[in-house]
Amino acid sequence: MFTLIKREIQDHLVYFLGAAILSAILITLLVSAMYHTEAGDSPVFIGLSIPVIVVLIIGCTAMGVSQMYTDRSRKISTFLSSLLVTRGRILIARIITGTLAILTVLLPLTITGMVLWRLFAPPIPIYSGLIFDIFVVTFLMGFACYCLGLQTSWTSSRITPTLGGLVLTCILVPLILVKGFGLHIKVILVLFIVASLIRTWQRFKTTAL
Amino acid sequence: MDDSVIKVENLVKYFDGRCVLDGINLNVPRGCIYGLLGRNGSGKTTTVRILLGLDSPTRGQTFLLDTKSTNLSAKVHGRIGYTAEGHNLIQNYKVSRLIKLCKDLSLQWNDEFFSHLIETFRLPADRRVRELSIGMRAQLNLSLAMAIDPELLILDDPTLGLDTVARRQFLELAIELIQQQGKTILFCSHILSDVERIADRIGILAAGKLVVDCPLEELKKRVKKLRVIFPESAPANLYLTEIINQQIQGREMVITVANWNQQKQTVLETFKPSSCTEIPMSLEDIFIECTKPNPVPDTDG
Repeated sequence: MFTLIKREIQDHLVYFLGAAILSAILITLLVSAMYHTEAGDSPVFIGLSIPVIVVLIIGCTAMGVSQMYTDRSRKISTFLSSLLVTRGRILIARIITGTLAILTVLLPLTITGMVLWRLFAPPIPIYSGLIFDIFVVTFLMGFACYCLGLQTSWTSSRITPTLGGLVLTCILVPLILVKGFGLHIKVILVLFIVASLIRTWQRFKTTAL
Repeated sequence: MDDSVIKVENLVKYFDGRCVLDGINLNVPRGCIYGLLGRNGSGKTTTVRILLGLDSPTRGQTFLLDTKSTNLSAKVHGRIGYTAEGHNLIQNYKVSRLIKLCKDLSLQWNDEFFSHLIETFRLPADRRVRELSIGMRAQLNLSLAMAIDPELLILDDPTLGLDTVARRQFLELAIELIQQQGKTILFCSHILSDVERIADRIGILAAGKLVVDCPLEELKKRVKKLRVIFPESAPANLYLTEIINQQIQGREMVITVANWNQQKQTVLETFKPSSCTEIPMSLEDIFIECTKPNPVPDTDG
């Protein structure tokens, strides 16, 4: 399994580099915003979070698409299946790699956020756990987009994954703005992820390689 | 449980409503070198892909190393060496990286044998796979398949793209492998001289059916091609069973018959032919006779 994960990471290194760069930019912006604005200045953070969400959605979808599309076009799974590997393991390694890429963006950002929050935020009980909620929802959102990328790109058509990503972006951004980071959106995203993963698993296991 | 390494039971495969495999039954015992022959598009690769679980059958089932092809575990995959038609290697990888990947994803890796192969084929480790010639790709694919010391080696047109020298090298290597006990090889090809050189059992696929499945020597004994001259015009009602091919021209009739025996000889003699001579057949001749597009239907009923 480790070999398969390593192979996926090496093949999609550009996404990990992109994730690390995005994370570094966001941390810089966050620190800078904290030092130069009033703590809890909502417009600044909302203004910052919308492009971040859009970039994250596009990036995660692109990674899922890239993993499946390159596999299909270069017949990677066909080759790997002739080695000490099953299709299930190939897909699990792929999903773990995608998860790691999303965490590469979110984990440093969350840790920085938590530190800054402790330093600057007023000690009001309502704020406790907010950073964690934001992290969970953002992660689930990124993962949902990634799953959509995986699911739609197990095809030779480029149009389906692109349209799928756009539609999901249009739905998720307003949904987060309306519903916030609460339980409702978490449940919606988890249901979407489960359905998407089941469909991907079923297609990946049964399609002729 | 029998000793079949490869077992195919009533395999049927349709592609877009077109029947590619029509009820194939096949058993390859342990240690056998089975040559699966057939013209382009006869279903050789489809059979192999179904065997390896890369494609699903429409009906029937297949087994490799006592495991159903649809449920092959990673461990079973690790005991099988496979070279795909067209040599499906990861094109953008460097040769060295591909070797490392295969080594890491194998149950066992015979470093000594692999180095010997790489040296023999003079494969450059620092080049990308897509930069290699077709012949070199074939050699690399073959080396990777052989290095895992497989119990079963499935070679789908492995010599495709190889020049004469490389083909000879490959066959010698295959023979070297065969000499190691217990190895089973399924060798699909349409280069008959290659198959004739190494296979001890032959199967011929034609029009989706396995029309021949027997040991090579037996095949040569069983299939007879006869030139029969009759005193007057050749009879149209010569009902022999298992006629593979039949051509009539005036007094002359050329027939190819499977399982030639005394009974068939007697039936032929009732038509009082002036002469009956056997035309010697090579494997290539037998193959051509068996795979002609419009063979005479079996007159057995």
